[in-house]
Amino acid sequence: MSVRVDSAFKEQLKAFGKGDWNECFHCGNCSAICPLTENGFLFPRKGIRAIQMGLKDKLASYVDPWLCYYCGECTETCPRDANPGELMMTLRRYLTSVYDWTGLSGRLYRSFTAHLAVMIILFISVITAFLVFADFTIPLSDQGMVSINSFAPHGLISTLDHFLLGTLSFFLLTNMLNMFVQVIIKDKSVRVPFYMYFIEVWGAIFHFLTQARFSKCEKKRLYWFSHLFLMSSYVIMFVMIIFFLAWFQTDEVHPWWHPQRLLGYYVTAGLILGSTYFMIGRYRKNREMFRFSHHSDWIFLILLFLLALTGILIHIFRINHLPMAAYISYMFHLAVEVPMVVTFVAFSKWSHLAYRPLGLFFANLKKAAREKQYRIQLAPTT
Amino acid sequence: MFKMEEKRIGVYVCWCGTNISRMVDVEAVAEEIGRLPDVVIAKNYKYMCYDPGQDLIVRDIREHKLNRVVVSACSPRIHELTFRKALANAGLNPYMFEMANIREQVSWVHTDREEATRKAKALVAAAVTRVRFHEALDKRKVEINPATLIIGAGISGISAALEIADSGRKVFLVEKMKYPGGHTADIDLSFPYMVSARQLLEPKIRRLLNHPYIELFTESRIAEVYGYVGNFEAEVENNLGIKTKISFGNIIVATGLKPFNPSSVNLHGYGKLPDVYTSVEFEKMLVSGEIKTRDGRMPKNIAIIHCVGSRHNDYHEYCSRICCMLGLKYCNQIRSALPDANIYDIYADMRSFGKSCEELYTQTATRNIMFLNFDQRQGLPQITKACPDEHCEMLIEFKERLSNESIIVPADMIILLVAMEAREDAREVAHAVGVSMCGNDFYIEKHPKLDPVATTTDGVYIVGSCQGPKDITDSVAQARAAASRVLATIAAGTVEVEVTTAVVNEDVCCGCQTCIKVCPYKAISFNQEKKVSVVNEILCKGCGTCGSTCPTGAIKSRHFTDLQILSQITGLMEMELVTEL
Repeated sequence: MSVRVDSAFKEQLKAFGKGDWNECFHCGNCSAICPLTENGFLFPRKGIRAIQMGLKDKLASYVDPWLCYYCGECTETCPRDANPGELMMTLRRYLTSVYDWTGLSGRLYRSFTAHLAVMIILFISVITAFLVFADFTIPLSDQGMVSINSFAPHGLISTLDHFLLGTLSFFLLTNMLNMFVQVIIKDKSVRVPFYMYFIEVWGAIFHFLTQARFSKCEKKRLYWFSHLFLMSSYVIMFVMIIFFLAWFQTDEVHPWWHPQRLLGYYVTAGLILGSTYFMIGRYRKNREMFRFSHHSDWIFLILLFLLALTGILIHIFRINHLPMAAYISYMFHLAVEVPMVVTFVAFSKWSHLAYRPLGLFFANLKKAAREKQYRIQLAPTT
Repeated sequence: MFKMEEKRIGVYVCWCGTNISRMVDVEAVAEEIGRLPDVVIAKNYKYMCYDPGQDLIVRDIREHKLNRVVVSACSPRIHELTFRKALANAGLNPYMFEMANIREQVSWVHTDREEATRKAKALVAAAVTRVRFHEALDKRKVEINPATLIIGAGISGISAALEIADSGRKVFLVEKMKYPGGHTADIDLSFPYMVSARQLLEPKIRRLLNHPYIELFTESRIAEVYGYVGNFEAEVENNLGIKTKISFGNIIVATGLKPFNPSSVNLHGYGKLPDVYTSVEFEKMLVSGEIKTRDGRMPKNIAIIHCVGSRHNDYHEYCSRICCMLGLKYCNQIRSALPDANIYDIYADMRSFGKSCEELYTQTATRNIMFLNFDQRQGLPQITKACPDEHCEMLIEFKERLSNESIIVPADMIILLVAMEAREDAREVAHAVGVSMCGNDFYIEKHPKLDPVATTTDGVYIVGSCQGPKDITDSVAQARAAASRVLATIAAGTVEVEVTTAVVNEDVCCGCQTCIKVCPYKAISFNQEKKVSVVNEILCKGCGTCGSTCPTGAIKSRHFTDLQILSQITGLMEMELVTEL
């Protein structure tokens, strides 16, 4: 079956990243230098070709961008300054919009204004809700504690959390299903036996927890560590506020060694240090992967930082028994968190937390299935 | 009584570093040859062709009064002239020399040192026996007619004509078409600098038409050329049948080429689909100033297909050399004219060699052109008419090499970059002026690297694309190179001609004219009065064909007489016998 080329595609892709990759003349140096590419998943050159020719269907089933960690060696090696590393980043954004069946992701990526507008609307909504429903005058409790749970009862917040979780999970899971359809089901060249899903899933889980593939990119240890620190902090915080809010959000201030406080410090440190490291990097463009920044990168980092900052403020005001200041900080804390979670978890940058391990999972499935097919072909027929 | 001259032969065995000495016992060869009669001295030396080696010969000729020299070394094609010059320097006739090739014919091709040495001895002995019968020959000189005939008034012919005429020498410029200018006159912009070809050409033509030393014959052709270097004659005939007799000393052939007709490439649908154009037709469209389809619409999708008729076993195997750059030029011109059009450049291999050409490719790549690569071995792009729901006129289908995908490219206009091939009358012209052609009907130069504009016929030069596909730059360079070659011979006044020619013994010739039929250089004519063949020694190249064909033995090839060759064979056989006994 022949596919029709589309020269307009390059233009469409421009909203997702650097450019149109006209410079590339396919010497293949990028694929040769890449420490992660392997037989069957040769990137980034093949991706550039698909973009140049506008092969949209091929790109939709293209799992390779999720296997790349943007060490930037390809870009450093490229004799034509075609930025193959940024190409993979652009494709990750594009693929996120491809998997999202609602079309919201594409809008957020394509337009900074749209993204900002959604954020501001959600921000104002949260602030308004607090101003209307919350009582900022609740005094210190009998024990002399700031009564966060009277100001914002964890039962109510938890219910809202679960509602948000349910909605976003629905979108993220259906998007993941869409990714599965695009990558595995639509690829007729390979058929994955059912049992393989159970074998290969452990590799994906192991990777999700350790990000071991990341460390394969040489010279990027600090980057890997910062990323792991930030990622784990966020995941812990997410699990805490969704599932253990009653334990995590207490009026009682525990001693400093209490697991609740230690976890809180870990998460805060991870968010502050991680987001600062990446913001400084993106500002100074001191690494290949920081050279080009999409508006979604900046919004994401700034919100992470503000989230941690407002968290710290709540903590400080609570310890110092300042109820009003603590309540206001709490309001801003949520006013930052809600827009961030809503726009990023299922529709933008944050979804790579799901797509990356899934991409690796699918790639390993394909690899195993191909190897099996190959062995069957080689086996003597009886 | 006729006193036989005493023969004093010097023999030199070259080592050629280790090239010869590794496989041939050079000392043994020299020692054994030294015992042969008439051999005064036999020496071996590391590099005979180096100055000390040549000095050795010169010194020995003077000291030992040598009158014949044999050097056994490499092929005479490489160093025969070197050693002949050494003989001349020592005051000896250069033809009193013979070379035995013990490198290409012995050391490089054998693996048994003993056998190789034996063969080397035999070859040197043969040379010694032959050189005994060498005769002194003298170079001949002929006067040069300072006029020049140039066939073809394209950019090459015009450039050569102006170069020669500007030095005050007469030029006859013969053009088949009505106007001078050739293909260059049909070109819009020239690559890689995007300069208007007309701006390049027009001042040249204006100068040409008013030049006092250039006589231009348009709509004319040359029937047959008679004569030899320095003294040619021909008749120019125009389309009215008027004949003009001209005489000249040199000929420059600048007949150019013609574009390939792609109708024979069925897959491309040329001639059947209205909007498939050749590069020549598209060039005319560019000159007219508007890119439009046959029904007057502006094309949205334009595809350029490379290598049409080039680099393909079914058409021409050679690369037509200019099409890639032509394609890039079109990409740029179309992009400038139609900023929103989709441009597809479908190429087999992009060959942007030379100054500013790769730069043009790089720059073109930034102008939103989709470059698609096909593999000719896996089939040519197939062009079909599109259905109305495809929103384009035609579809091009092929396997794209860099992505390994079978793809469809939409197109409203397709430009075929057709091959450049020899003109249909190339053979006629070749016959008239006496140049040889290669398998593709392009003319063959004397040496592809060292003598690229001369031919094996003295006084006849080939320039521009009659020698092979070429761009304007290379054509003009060749034209001016040939002009300087012509001017150099004119300045010399005379030209040396080969003396190792054939001579007819009129007493023995029976008048059968077999020699006239076999002579490849048209050098033999028949004297009706005496009823004998006559060799024109200036046209004769001394190939020896006539001598070996002559049934009565009336033709002698100088320097290759029967006596010389038979004695060489005798020498070869005798040495074989001696060593075997």
